[in-house]
Amino acid sequence: MNVIEIKNLTKTYGNARGIENVSFHVEEGEIFGFIGPNGAGKSTTLRTLLSIIYPTSGSATVFGKDSVQSASEIKKDIGYLPSEVFYYDRMRVKDLLNYSASFYKKDCRKRIQELAEIMDLDLSKRIDDLSYGNRKKVGIVQGLLHKPKLIILDEPTGGLDPLMQQKFFDLLKEENKKGTTILFSSHILSEVQKMCDRVAIIKEGKIIKVEKISTLKESNHKKIKVETKVPVDVDFFDADGVTNLEATNNTISFLFSGNINLIMRKLSEIELSNVWVDEPDLEEIFLHYYEKEV
Amino acid sequence: MNMFLHELKVNRKSTIIWTLSLVAIAVLFLSIFPTIEREGEEFKKVLASYPEGVLKAVGVQIDSITSFLGFYSYVFLYIMLCGAIQGMNLGMGVLSKEIIGKTAEFLLTKPVARKEILTSKALVVVTSLLITNIVFMGAAALMANIVAKESIDYQVFFMISATNFFVQLMFASFGFLLSVLVSRIKSVLPLSLSTVFAFFILYMFGSVIGEKAVRYLTPFKYFDLAYIIRHSGYEAQYIIIGSIFIVATVAVSFIVFTKKDIHTV
Repeated sequence: MNVIEIKNLTKTYGNARGIENVSFHVEEGEIFGFIGPNGAGKSTTLRTLLSIIYPTSGSATVFGKDSVQSASEIKKDIGYLPSEVFYYDRMRVKDLLNYSASFYKKDCRKRIQELAEIMDLDLSKRIDDLSYGNRKKVGIVQGLLHKPKLIILDEPTGGLDPLMQQKFFDLLKEENKKGTTILFSSHILSEVQKMCDRVAIIKEGKIIKVEKISTLKESNHKKIKVETKVPVDVDFFDADGVTNLEATNNTISFLFSGNINLIMRKLSEIELSNVWVDEPDLEEIFLHYYEKEV
Repeated sequence: MNMFLHELKVNRKSTIIWTLSLVAIAVLFLSIFPTIEREGEEFKKVLASYPEGVLKAVGVQIDSITSFLGFYSYVFLYIMLCGAIQGMNLGMGVLSKEIIGKTAEFLLTKPVARKEILTSKALVVVTSLLITNIVFMGAAALMANIVAKESIDYQVFFMISATNFFVQLMFASFGFLLSVLVSRIKSVLPLSLSTVFAFFILYMFGSVIGEKAVRYLTPFKYFDLAYIIRHSGYEAQYIIIGSIFIVATVAVSFIVFTKKDIHTV
């Protein structure tokens, strides 16, 4: 069963670009990544799904129900964590969470305690006394306290330190094991790679590709930069799987995809003074997909 | 119900402050009544030396100002002005602050329909204003009892006092509508103050030129307090028009709000 089904969803704001013909589906029990650079339309898609804004055309269903017609019913089983967390400043964390819980017709007190403990959140503090990261934690507890069947996360990790990020991801994985479906938007490839089963890539309001993470990993690119002691002919590196080859003075950089041992052997043949091996950033991955599309 | 109670709590402080302010104005003004009553003729002479236009603009009617209800209805104009600001602020702020504070997203991702959100907001406005008026009337009546030597027609006294609630509702519903229509209200107070004062100036202007049509335009003129004193009753057509205005603005607010995109970032 598909928990989310988005069909040709388009949202335009006057002149500004929104999203165009976005279609994808999220299956029950999967962790689905939604990735793209800032301003690509990730939040617009998620907000349309939650009917905070309404589609210009196209439609979406959640749990098989229309996202606009059955908005309030659907939301009983959705937990949402926005990218920026804003709450009623003068409230205490505890009161805010209780207020949040009061919208769901079930007893959430035990779950609030559990989550606060896991996330190391002080419930007695006032919201406006909290740091950015701690507000984010409130958002996390707020989004999970009613045991939703679908969790929607909009760039959730900003402001969390690595330790907390890990705890949060563990928490999500645990929820996922219990059958919870997760839709996860991010502009950080590594965190999506770590978490998700499948991923939709969005750029400039359009879905470029929907792919399994495992497939994405196979075509994994490395960004390699070397500095040599003596000038080396650029053609030396021109091999299968090498793209974006560039050279300035003694520095040569390129993208490589394929058997990593081949390139390492090649590198060992020359005198290096320095080497950088990086994951290509998202732009480069996008570029890769974009070029393929055209 | 949870949203209603939450909202009521959020507005508790401002309701208390506004209520106390209204009471303070009433107490302050009414405490000078004994002096005016004692030196009635002198006072009237002083007033008579003012240009007629000024007296009309500030709502003074010389022949009745030394009677308690006459004086009260003069004072009441300023209570109504203050009340109108409260009403407008409340009506406009109850939704805008969710947008300004970016907390709208919190509510909109909860399993509640937008009309339920609006209903609880609207009910909080009415409840807060009702509380303000009940407390105010009690305090004003008590004060009246202290300062007036003559026996007061309390029915008329309460009829005058109740007009504040009606005028507040008109401003509140207008503010409610504005908060839905104007996409980015940055701050509520300047907008509500300027709106209320615009209508107040229109009131003063209308009083000076004696133009009947102005009565329909500014809520401050919907109730001719002198008429209420003379007839112990309201002018039905204004109540009807005012009620239609309130119902219509709230209805339009609902329609617009349930259909519009909420931009929270």
